[in-house]
Amino acid sequence: MNPIKFLEPTDFSEASSLLDQYTDDAKIIAGGVSITLMLQQKLISPSVLISLGRVSNYDFIRHDQDGLHIGALTKLRDIERSDIVKKFCPALAHTFSVVGNVRVRNQATIGGNLSAADYAADPPSMLAALNARVQVQGPEKKREISLGKFFLGFYTTALESNEILTEVVIPNLSSSARAAYHKYTSISAEGRPCVAVGAVADFDADGKCLDLRIAVGAAVETPQRLNSAEAMARGQILTDELVAAIAEEYSLRLDPLTDVRGSAWYRKEMIRVFVKRALQEVRNDR
Amino acid sequence: MIGESVPMLDSLARVTGTLDYMINLRLPNMLVGKIVRSQSPHAKLLKVDITNALQVPGVIAILTGADLGANAFYGAGIKDQGVVAVDRVRYVGEPIAAIAAESLDAAEEAELLIDIEYDELPAVFDAQAAIQAGAPTLHEKFPNNIFKHAKLRHGDLDVAFAEADEIFEDTFTSPPAQQASLEPHVSAAQWDGERLTIWTASQAPFMVRKTLSEIFGIAPEAVRVIVPPLGGGYGGKGHIRIEPLAAAMARKTNGRPVKFALSRAEEFVTVTKHAASITLKTGVKRDGTFTARQVTLYWNGGAYADASPLLVPAGMVRSVGPYRIPAVHVDSYGIYTNLPPAGAYRGAMSSQTTWAYESQMDIIARKMGWDPLEFRMKNLFVSGDRFATGEELRDVHFVECLEASAKGLGAPSSPALLPEGEGKRGRGYGVMMKSTVATSKSQARLKLTDDGMVTLFTSTVEMGQGGHTTMAQITAEALGVPLSAIKIIGPDTAITPFDSTTSASRSTSMMGNAVVAACGSMRKKLFELSAPLLETPPDQLRTKNGFVVANETSISFGDILKRNNLNELNEAGEYSTSLGLDPETGQGVSTPHWHQGAGAAEVKVDTETGRVTILRYSAASFAGRVVNPRMAQLQNDGNVIFGLGPALMEEIVFDGGQPTNPNLADYSIPSIRDIPVELTSICIESDEGEMHGIGEMTLPPVAPAIANAIEDAIGVRIKDLPITAEKILRALREKSQP
Amino acid sequence: MILNVNGSRHEVQEGTRTLLEVLRDDLGLVGTKEGCGVGMCGACTVLVDGRPISGCLILAEQVVGKEILTVEGLEKNGQLHPIQQAFIDERAFQCAYCTPGFILSTAALLNENPNPSEDEIREYLSGNLCRCGSYQNILKAVLRAHQRV
Repeated sequence: MNPIKFLEPTDFSEASSLLDQYTDDAKIIAGGVSITLMLQQKLISPSVLISLGRVSNYDFIRHDQDGLHIGALTKLRDIERSDIVKKFCPALAHTFSVVGNVRVRNQATIGGNLSAADYAADPPSMLAALNARVQVQGPEKKREISLGKFFLGFYTTALESNEILTEVVIPNLSSSARAAYHKYTSISAEGRPCVAVGAVADFDADGKCLDLRIAVGAAVETPQRLNSAEAMARGQILTDELVAAIAEEYSLRLDPLTDVRGSAWYRKEMIRVFVKRALQEVRNDR
Repeated sequence: MIGESVPMLDSLARVTGTLDYMINLRLPNMLVGKIVRSQSPHAKLLKVDITNALQVPGVIAILTGADLGANAFYGAGIKDQGVVAVDRVRYVGEPIAAIAAESLDAAEEAELLIDIEYDELPAVFDAQAAIQAGAPTLHEKFPNNIFKHAKLRHGDLDVAFAEADEIFEDTFTSPPAQQASLEPHVSAAQWDGERLTIWTASQAPFMVRKTLSEIFGIAPEAVRVIVPPLGGGYGGKGHIRIEPLAAAMARKTNGRPVKFALSRAEEFVTVTKHAASITLKTGVKRDGTFTARQVTLYWNGGAYADASPLLVPAGMVRSVGPYRIPAVHVDSYGIYTNLPPAGAYRGAMSSQTTWAYESQMDIIARKMGWDPLEFRMKNLFVSGDRFATGEELRDVHFVECLEASAKGLGAPSSPALLPEGEGKRGRGYGVMMKSTVATSKSQARLKLTDDGMVTLFTSTVEMGQGGHTTMAQITAEALGVPLSAIKIIGPDTAITPFDSTTSASRSTSMMGNAVVAACGSMRKKLFELSAPLLETPPDQLRTKNGFVVANETSISFGDILKRNNLNELNEAGEYSTSLGLDPETGQGVSTPHWHQGAGAAEVKVDTETGRVTILRYSAASFAGRVVNPRMAQLQNDGNVIFGLGPALMEEIVFDGGQPTNPNLADYSIPSIRDIPVELTSICIESDEGEMHGIGEMTLPPVAPAIANAIEDAIGVRIKDLPITAEKILRALREKSQP
Repeated sequence: MILNVNGSRHEVQEGTRTLLEVLRDDLGLVGTKEGCGVGMCGACTVLVDGRPISGCLILAEQVVGKEILTVEGLEKNGQLHPIQQAFIDERAFQCAYCTPGFILSTAALLNENPNPSEDEIREYLSGNLCRCGSYQNILKAVLRAHQRV
């Protein structure tokens, strides 16, 4: 067997050019969690690994005027512990604190986590509810993709074969907005999520909901938002009845999958429960 | 020494990572072994062509069915399993070939080049489906797939059921599960002419020796089995696993050793916990006593009988329960299916049977309007009662175990409704009664040298239970030497004497008694040798702290030897039991003593999700006389924590015979966040003071205690393990919409 | 390629292998164990620049230039690390296959958070699995160790 070439470009455009050059023979390796797993299980057999380990300046968390910027090479553990993130949105820091175990969070990067597009993940739902965008670098140009359009299916993203995710941008939340993340593990506490719900709501001074965004993940192929359900909240007080109705809408309209963590039937039930609980949390936090 | 909580003798090696597990073994010129496994659950093997694979650089030899002789079949009682498959495969993952190579890379490359052709046969995966007319037959010798039927007949069942006021009939199931020791199965073998040495992570070195001597037609003494400390066993390493394959592979490598270390995925197709379906029909009277019980057990043995011919009858005895029932009939069936072979899983067979009989106890109590705790107390066996096998029970402490467990939960909290989202609380109990091995033998040898050091040669396997520390403590006490003077060697069948197996929690009792006997002989010898020196008759001497002590004088063990011009003294001890049941009636004596345990659980159920939280768990086991209190408690606690796995989460899911979750990401075992918020346990001792093993007793009650607590909390009954949140929610829905 | 392990530099063969394989097979540091191969059990926990990482999930090439600590690097001058002693004192192991991983995770925890609550300990160590079920004593050992470290 030929040894795998290990390349270590020092910036993203070089990395992207290498990816362009080697095309299907190459894999990007950031933290390395999913690539090492796939190599070990012989699910992939690249001839080249393009490591991002020497790319500098993309391990950052910064609150700019337009929102929170997180470099793609930032470790999940650093996001979880960041005071900037905790201040920006405590639920976001919480989301990263419940990913896998502490070893995975020490190794995995936000860019790698999102690019892997594993359906049973935590950050995608919360980030989708926060209207996050990702910046990607191709050999020629950069572009931005909203997270809602980033995930295309199981382990599939909108990244072109020569593009690399470089940065995640989360728009500012109004000072009256509240967010919550609910991860439900159905078996061991150490398991991956059966259902993941990210919720963001904004309220006016009277407690009426100005804006609601809920993304459901882990139970479905990609994080799902329902405009019809979100719209039900606009201009309304989030009464128990309305919360139940919105939760019911998600439960009814989503088409969950079956795996060892739960059947489609059970996941429909859990979507209802955890959309409700996430909504209650954002409502009661006011 | 007995009764002292000394740390494990090799604690230092355990915390520094220097303990010599099998996985660390390196031998000069050692080759890497790789097993090539069946992709089909049931097929004729039309072709296994290794021509191209042999060309891969670094590949030394490849073993296939064509290499095997007529005796290359093994199994406890039924020799149906080939060292590798010969002309037919019967489960996904069955070894078809093995490769010995200089590197794993070379072996893996060769694996891809082995050309295997299958002619698919119909397959069956469920035990009860396998015994229906028309189901595919796995082994021609057993056309209906039933390879073992154990029977117990005690009393007239029809008459006894006629006397009952109510008859309950319920079926309880357990799925296949994985022992999941963190260290996998690892074996290495090397031939020197017609002599075989095998290093293996096994709980039963002498069973390995016997099997290999039979397969290869050599004397048992020509097989040397060496067992280093195990990284967990839990029954999964209790019988023959990959040793025959490793030895057969090594026969083709010109004397070079070959080591096989299984991957986690391979573990899931190497041995499993028996899936079981157990139906209990029980007659009770309105006065709260039993009249009759009929038990029917279907054990899914997988594709080969393996240890099941021993375990299916054990499961029969273990299915009756610790209650006075005048008439009992049991039929325990071992059944072939196209799944991996099943074997012992910590609390063997009792894990499944206790789930059944302790769940039904609460079903009965609730229906009859009795308190589940009082109903148990009223019917539990006490010393002097007779079991369904006809044997008299002695040193029985079920009542104390249950009382202690219940007390451990503390004062009853109000079962009143908690705020929404917080769930509802409930309490439940479980008691278990388990036989150990009826017929087995342990031998121990002691060597005393003139420096006063004592070496204990024992084939008890140290697998984390503290077996060696226990034996050292027993030696220290029985011989009268300080612990620091004792060294332990074994198991190594070339130098350590016979022991049947380290399983079924038998070692503390069986090997412990063999050690006591060896110490007795040694003391007698020391008294004889020192009597003239101390000018005291032997019967007035005693030992203490490495000295033989008379009234006024004493002499050290070392000096006794020196003064008698001896370099060393060797003494042996043996302890054995030879018991058993009549094969037609199940009457006789099933066990040298009974393992007794109980548990009490307080749970909280989230009624929206079905998720259960174990708030408190309190366990008790009967230990006779505790050798090492803190390690004993650790065994008790560990059993409860282990037991949470099969209770709440563990199930190997098969799809067409292919395991879909053969990894620890999709097959969960309990983590530190899954354990009860409060967990307490105690060991109960008795005046009779027999030392008992306690490696399993608090495990089997866990699942039924939790299920009973769930019914107490929310009024639903789960009868199929594991008790998942989804099953609970489904049951809640069915209850509210009848 | 050079790896810094337990304070010394080691030249190891190039190639795409996990850190776990290199530690065990090339450097003979067999205190680090493989349990599951998918980062779930923590038997292969090592510290990379002070942070616990699964040795089975990271390639050796990724840790060139970083400080790697394995269980073999914990003893100082032949003295057990206080965490190791606490694990003995609290009988915090049975088969001990998981123990080096637990001890290294504990070392990282106490470094980050010298005074952890019981919940914080559970949270931090929850990715280390002990099949024998010694968790209660492990909790006690960590609480005992933090008083000493």
